[in-house]
Amino acid sequence: MGHLSGEHLYEIFARQKREDRLEHVGTISAPNAALARAYAWQTYDEQKWFEMVVAPRESFEAVNRDEEPFTLGPVEAR
Amino acid sequence: MSAAEAKGFRTAGDVPAELREDLSAVLLSLADNKRLLGMRYAEWLLGAPTLEAGIACSAMAQDEWGHSRIFYAMLKDFELDPGHLEHEREAGEYLNIELLDEPPPEWTGLVALNFLLDSALAVQFESLRDSRFEPLHYKVRKVLEEERFHYEHGRGWLARISETEAGRAALAAAFAPAWNSCLRWFGAPDGELIGRLADAGVCDADSNELRARWLARVGPVVHDAGLDLAARGADGTWRSNSGPDWSDWDGARRRSRGGGPNPGTLAAVRGDKNRTMLMD
Repeated sequence: MGHLSGEHLYEIFARQKREDRLEHVGTISAPNAALARAYAWQTYDEQKWFEMVVAPRESFEAVNRDEEPFTLGPVEAR
Repeated sequence: MSAAEAKGFRTAGDVPAELREDLSAVLLSLADNKRLLGMRYAEWLLGAPTLEAGIACSAMAQDEWGHSRIFYAMLKDFELDPGHLEHEREAGEYLNIELLDEPPPEWTGLVALNFLLDSALAVQFESLRDSRFEPLHYKVRKVLEEERFHYEHGRGWLARISETEAGRAALAAAFAPAWNSCLRWFGAPDGELIGRLADAGVCDADSNELRARWLARVGPVVHDAGLDLAARGADGTWRSNSGPDWSDWDGARRRSRGGGPNPGTLAAVRGDKNRTMLMD
């Protein structure tokens, strides 16, 4: 997906109940944290979330793989 | 009189007659402004600068229309007919701020509505959160929960556009008229609607205090965006660098004298094309 210059990818994590774990629910493109928060909340609004957080993709450190975190590879033949 | 020591009003019938008209005028003003603001958001569903912004506009439009519905419905308790209010009034009967009469020509104009006007409406709602008119309590809380993200959206776009010189110039042009209108919308300092409601404990602040709260919220953000609209005083409070200009102020409608939503806006908000389907 193409986006305007100055945009960053933000990863969105959320949970529906306090006892749930935060789960990765999606990714949005935004130029700053304020818009990332607004877009995340307004885009992923099918559920009633107990908590939602966003983080810029570049803030994630790869642990076991050399490629960038969140990279989608080609679908492997099953 | 503080809201705590005054006896609460459970229904419109509990509200003294002289206050009832003021209270219904404030509710109708909020409903009309939300209805029209929702339409302005909806106009950017397609054609917003990014897909995400279009989705956000769709969400905000739905929020605003939901809120306006709630407040039109509340007016039934004041012996007003919500069906008439929503579908049958003429432009001159709307209590909307003049900023909403016409669609903003550019995205920066929508950002001005989003950041300045939506925040002004939120400040007014906050002043009603613990109103002596009790039916407002739950409804106002629900509205404010959703409004939080409208503020973030406006703040985020303001920061984004103000990154460049050209962006700041476009923002300055769009924000100047919106700034004056919003500043004025809270009402003249003496003897108007909001002051009477504050005295009666229906809202928790008079016009000047509401204006100060709005300035405290939007002032630092527009200042950081490089717009010459507000500055922090020596005492730490935020002040407007200008106005408001009261020259054509209509205190009863809380807008400039005369006028109202333009014909296209009016036909759309009233649902004129659906008249044959209205059941009652």
